[in-house]
Amino acid sequence: MKNFEFLFTAWMVVWAVFFVYEISVARRIAQTREEIERLKQQLQQR
Amino acid sequence: MRAAAIVLAKELRLEFRTRELLTATVIFALVVVVLFSFAFDPTAAESRRYGPGLLWIAFLFAGSLMLNPSFAREQNNETLDALRMAPISNFAILLGKILANFIFMSLAEVILVPVFAVLYNLSLAGIVWRLILVLVLGTLGLTVTGTVFSAISAHARMRELLLPLLLLPLLTPLLIAAVESTASLFAEQPALDRTWLAFLAGFDIVFLTASWLLCDHLLEE
Amino acid sequence: MKARFAITALVALLIFCAGYAALFIAPDEATMHAVQRIFYFHVASWNAMFCAFFVACYASVAYLVTGKRKWDALGVSGVEVGVMCCTIGLITGPLWARPVWGIWWTWDAKLTSTFILWLLFIAYLLLRGLVEDPEKKASLSAVFAIFASLDIPLVYLANRLWRTQHPQPVIAGGPGSGLDPTMSKVLLLCLFAVFCVMILVLVDRYRLELLRNEAAELRYEIESRGLDASNGQETPALQKGAQ
Repeated sequence: MKNFEFLFTAWMVVWAVFFVYEISVARRIAQTREEIERLKQQLQQR
Repeated sequence: MRAAAIVLAKELRLEFRTRELLTATVIFALVVVVLFSFAFDPTAAESRRYGPGLLWIAFLFAGSLMLNPSFAREQNNETLDALRMAPISNFAILLGKILANFIFMSLAEVILVPVFAVLYNLSLAGIVWRLILVLVLGTLGLTVTGTVFSAISAHARMRELLLPLLLLPLLTPLLIAAVESTASLFAEQPALDRTWLAFLAGFDIVFLTASWLLCDHLLEE
Repeated sequence: MKARFAITALVALLIFCAGYAALFIAPDEATMHAVQRIFYFHVASWNAMFCAFFVACYASVAYLVTGKRKWDALGVSGVEVGVMCCTIGLITGPLWARPVWGIWWTWDAKLTSTFILWLLFIAYLLLRGLVEDPEKKASLSAVFAIFASLDIPLVYLANRLWRTQHPQPVIAGGPGSGLDPTMSKVLLLCLFAVFCVMILVLVDRYRLELLRNEAAELRYEIESRGLDASNGQETPALQKGAQ
């Protein structure tokens, strides 16, 4: 295939961007959930 | 609208006490104009082509610096709260400031345009009134959006950097329209480009209306 | 949770099918051959971007009208995802243009408008980062988002008017006109697939923002209660000290 490198790079870019973003969002969701749990416990203790 | 006039009068009185903002703006725009002449050495034909672009870029840069204090000044002694307690509408406050900035910018332009014409050997003969029309429409767009963004960035950190960052991309259509209108005036056969003038007027109306609709959200605490 | 997992799996399958279709089922284009296949995902990401920014604009207006924080959460999610899709479009575009037309970039109406759009909404994200008070952050960024959205048609129009006055080297409009029927079907599939991915990411980002707001509220409550608790303890100690 002619110019395959361009096609491949474009393909990788599309999915890399979405993937990295989604992973970072998912990770932050998990972190925030943990923090919420921690904060709720702190509130109950007082 | 009398309220807006009162706010305008206050802004003018404040500035004319020291005139430091006005002076700084004019000097800065001049510096930009001179720097450009080092970047490329314009011949007569090139001056006609690049001159208008350079002029408006100088105005935009100088404007974005000059518009900052519009609301940033109010933050120091929380004078904006005092203004809001007065029985005037939020839009009157905003309009007063827009008009004040418009006048300051226009004063700077009155000084800069002849200087620019001299430095770049462009003749202003026969096009003065039409040029004033273009300048008025362009400056209006600049000050309306700039004052609104000054109100926005006054609440942020790094506001001196934020204001140009918010303002300059937004003003690209205004820049294109103003440069093209000005260029057609400096051309061999000076002509007033109606399309671009209509575009500038449209730009001004759109953002003035948006400012009016959204002013409460801009100014409330 | 199970529904969420099922949907994600479904979208993943959709992407796989779309990708397969784009790479193997779609016919080879006459002049551009393989590279042309970028077009399917390039156009799809523009479409996703416009949808995301539309959501953001709608949410901004809704926030200013109702004052409910969830609209602000949706707004920032829309902008972030939109910027991401825009970035993808701005990268895949030159990657397609370079081998086909020999240039990375040109300042035509569409490209310029999109670039300005990208800059404006990155400015939105910067604005949010620099304003600390959450309510101010929400209302100011909503106002800015509305101004930015109003500007975009103006940018496009200005550029179109300008380019008709100063004709640029004509770039083929892309194989949008007179599309081969198989290509159209593959394009639709890719549009739908990328749109679904965008929605998925948008919803996640929205949930993250809502969770963050919840955490902030809890922290605020703890702080205010913490102050009360320490005040209750300090006063007797002070009295003892005074004596």
